[in-house]
Amino acid sequence: MTIRIAAAFMAALLVGSALARAESTVTIATVNNGDMIRMQGLSEAFTKANPDIKLDWVVLEENVLRQRVTTDIATKGGQFDVLTIGTYEVPIWAKRGWLVALDNLPEDYDVDDILPPIREALSYDGTMYAAPFYGESSFTMYRTDLFEKAGLEMPEKPTWDFIKDAARKLADKSNDVYGICLRGKPGWGENMAFLTAMANSYGARWFDMEWKPQFDGEAWKATITDYVELMQEVGPPDAAANGYNENLALFRSGKCAIWIDATAAGQFVTNADSDVADRVGFALAPDKGLGKSANWLWAWALAVPEGSDNKDGAKRFVAWATSKQYLELVASKDGWSNVPPGTRTSLYENPEYRKVPFAKMTLDSIDAADPNKPCVDEVPYTGIQYVAIPEFQSIGTAVGQRFALALSGTIPIDEALENAQWVTGKVIERARFLQ
Amino acid sequence: MANTAIDPRQSIADMDDELLPVPQHRLHGPGHFLGLYGSEHVAATEFVIGAAFVAMGASIHDILIGLLIGNTLAVLSFWLITAPIAVKTRLSLYTYLDQNMGELVPRLYNGANVLIFVAISAAMITVSATAVRALFDIPPQIYPYPTSVWFAVIAASASVIAVLVAYYGFNVVAEFGTICTPWLMVMFTAGGMVLIPSLNETLTGYTTLSSFSDFVNLAGTTVFTGINAEGEPGIGLWEVIGFAWAANTFAHFGLVDMALLRYAKKSIYGLCTATGMMFGHYIAWISAALMGAATAYIMKLSIAVVSPGDVAYYALGATGFVIVIIAGWTTANPNLYRAGLAAQAVFPNIARQKVTLVVGAVVVVGSCFPFIYRQILPILAYAGLVLVPLGGIVFAEQHIFPRLGYKSNWHRLKGVKDNMPAVITWGICLVFGFGLNFLNIIPFVYLFLPTWVVSIVAYIILAKKYGADGSYPEAEKREQEFQKQVEAYHAELAAKEQHEHVRGTTALIKIIRVIWIVIGLIVPAVLAWRVLFNSPNLYDYYVNRELFYDVTIWCTVIYFVFAWWDLQVSKRMQRSARSSGAEVPAE
Repeated sequence: MTIRIAAAFMAALLVGSALARAESTVTIATVNNGDMIRMQGLSEAFTKANPDIKLDWVVLEENVLRQRVTTDIATKGGQFDVLTIGTYEVPIWAKRGWLVALDNLPEDYDVDDILPPIREALSYDGTMYAAPFYGESSFTMYRTDLFEKAGLEMPEKPTWDFIKDAARKLADKSNDVYGICLRGKPGWGENMAFLTAMANSYGARWFDMEWKPQFDGEAWKATITDYVELMQEVGPPDAAANGYNENLALFRSGKCAIWIDATAAGQFVTNADSDVADRVGFALAPDKGLGKSANWLWAWALAVPEGSDNKDGAKRFVAWATSKQYLELVASKDGWSNVPPGTRTSLYENPEYRKVPFAKMTLDSIDAADPNKPCVDEVPYTGIQYVAIPEFQSIGTAVGQRFALALSGTIPIDEALENAQWVTGKVIERARFLQ
Repeated sequence: MANTAIDPRQSIADMDDELLPVPQHRLHGPGHFLGLYGSEHVAATEFVIGAAFVAMGASIHDILIGLLIGNTLAVLSFWLITAPIAVKTRLSLYTYLDQNMGELVPRLYNGANVLIFVAISAAMITVSATAVRALFDIPPQIYPYPTSVWFAVIAASASVIAVLVAYYGFNVVAEFGTICTPWLMVMFTAGGMVLIPSLNETLTGYTTLSSFSDFVNLAGTTVFTGINAEGEPGIGLWEVIGFAWAANTFAHFGLVDMALLRYAKKSIYGLCTATGMMFGHYIAWISAALMGAATAYIMKLSIAVVSPGDVAYYALGATGFVIVIIAGWTTANPNLYRAGLAAQAVFPNIARQKVTLVVGAVVVVGSCFPFIYRQILPILAYAGLVLVPLGGIVFAEQHIFPRLGYKSNWHRLKGVKDNMPAVITWGICLVFGFGLNFLNIIPFVYLFLPTWVVSIVAYIILAKKYGADGSYPEAEKREQEFQKQVEAYHAELAAKEQHEHVRGTTALIKIIRVIWIVIGLIVPAVLAWRVLFNSPNLYDYYVNRELFYDVTIWCTVIYFVFAWWDLQVSKRMQRSARSSGAEVPAE
């Protein structure tokens, strides 16, 4: 009997140690936004289906995440097995060979279901290097009640001329209603995301094919002039301090007649907390009749770094978190309006999701974006509201600071454009010298 | 049995000065050593070592405290171990070994030095080549081996030129090296200051630091993170202290710096090494690390592979290329020269040209491999481990033998060919030191400590067996006679040389100095200060930075033109004073 107990104990130890050996950890670095926190909460479903994988979460503020992840991937440190990165980083890092190609995902993953512009934005040389968790474009949000009162009708594809005209007609500053709200806070991901997309629709571009900055051209001048004049005339006060969050608050409280910004805002302006929930209409981002509208394209995506020691487990997690099944899981727990939008065609074919008021316009906006041909003229870079080069973050922010000063009236528009031309030229000249 | 005792019949005047103790009148005050050590320890290696601490994953607190402690220990080692022996013997270690260790030990010692100096030379030439590669559109060299034939060609060409310069024009390079020190100090500090706002912006979105704790936070989050390049917890406080202490082991415990400190009037001047340790190995290392981290972030590369040329370019603009090339060459050339001399001592029967050529060829090949410069810190630590036993042997002879009643110069007095206790002790220590390293019992940076102790104990025991406690009256008498002759010769020399050191005080020299100090040093320092403290946003940062880049390169040109002119005018004045016999103020 004693021998049997001892044998059973030994067998249990062996099995236990074998299981312990078989279990591997996947460390996920992610940003601390609502969608990602939700994913963490639902990840038990993944570990139940994959008992050999233990998940370890590193949830960070966006800037800190960028810093940590960049350092880790550049050193092939292997701290993280799954990275949350944006469309900006994917082509740069894939070109450097830092990311694992996601070209052999499970059959039921259905890669072809991913929205083509999003897939393009997350690919390099035709291979996908990150799977989209959430995607967005930008569109026009407007107050249907104010439009009706002013006898205006928003076209599905408005032009800038119409927007300018409408904003001026709708402005009622005495009642704290501003004709238009646009991003003014300086930053490559704030005012420059909007202004770069707007400039694309005006026929402007950051660089010509020889990487010469183009801020000295007429198209940029027209863009910044229209932007500054319109905002100074009918925009909110202190507009140079307003980013996405500030404008969202203004629109939700009924102070903006028109707001052009991320499609992700759709859910927040129509949910129960919004004062104008039932008075919001959606249209595409404006254009200037040159074949490009002012909408951008962005996705938060999950990627596997080359330095990961657990690439297989990491890929399994990425496939799960960006699958159709995950979208269904979120819908079953929190409803369709909380499903991460902008990634899959099937989501927009779902009758339940189509009931969401901004769903169709989000899909149309994403479909209208082409990250590989963002401008009217040919450019040597990819990216719509950014230029997918390592230096863009700093150039974009520096240029954004000058445009913010022009918006606030601190410096003339011509000076801001001259400054933008100078700083972009200097930074790119040094960067290209060392390449 | 060979007679190696000094022959008093040999004319003292015919002997090479290097073989004699330094005469009293050639001794220097503390100012000389403060300047000398400041210059010796601000070199191209600092770019690499600063980045190495980041790649090894030191945390900011360990760096701030550990480097302070480690460098203080290094200063104390210079003061308490090297300087007293140097002041007592007034000889370089080479001469000491030559006169006291027989034939084999100096030969082996020189052999080890060849390897070490070749490695340092090759590393520094590679560092210079990393600056040149951008000019020829060659991709960054991120692997241990060259990935571009053209990079190898550039590195090899630079080596060939360096070998030729070391052979034919060493004095010019050495002279040029002396004027670089103040400029290198300013540029190393300025480089860190210029890139801090950029680094801070990537982390916080702001370009300004409001307090020292902001700086600590920035450096701790972005540079000295405590995580190494493999993503694992990095080195701790003990290792940081050890690296700082061991980086110059061969100079202090290994006594190589007897060559410099033998000129000190008092052994307390060993404390003057603090300029080198606390600037070159503290501020410059931290500054280099900050520069490296900022550049790595800008280029989206790892600090473990980002090259000194790229770092310097982002920190200092065109001046960065100048600093890397100058710092690299002024470090490489003396080491190449030393390697050549050491090799000639190892193979005295082979023609000097042939030996130099072989050493040069090894440097040429080594300089093509970035691996060597990236491993410079371990190379220096292991070099120290190899050379430290000889320091222990000399320490035993000079400090312990007199207390035990042994003769410090017993081997010379005995007059045998080889100092076998020294040979055996060195062998025991190498086995012991590298054995401990193999067993991985203590961090390799501390291996020199037990090895040094073992060398002292082993040598005391072995030397006694071989006659260190013996009596050699005839030889001792000859030694005393020789010493008397040396003293007489030094008195003659002192009479001749007392007015030779002159300090230029003419109006012309004053003007020249004001120009290179103000334009060459103060203007870049002020502009760097402006970049760090007067850049409220990224755009203003770029404006200030570009101004710094554009002006500093011209300041650099002016600095070198006027500093060189200063040196030449001063030398001309000295020569004319000597030839005319005119009274000029003594230094």
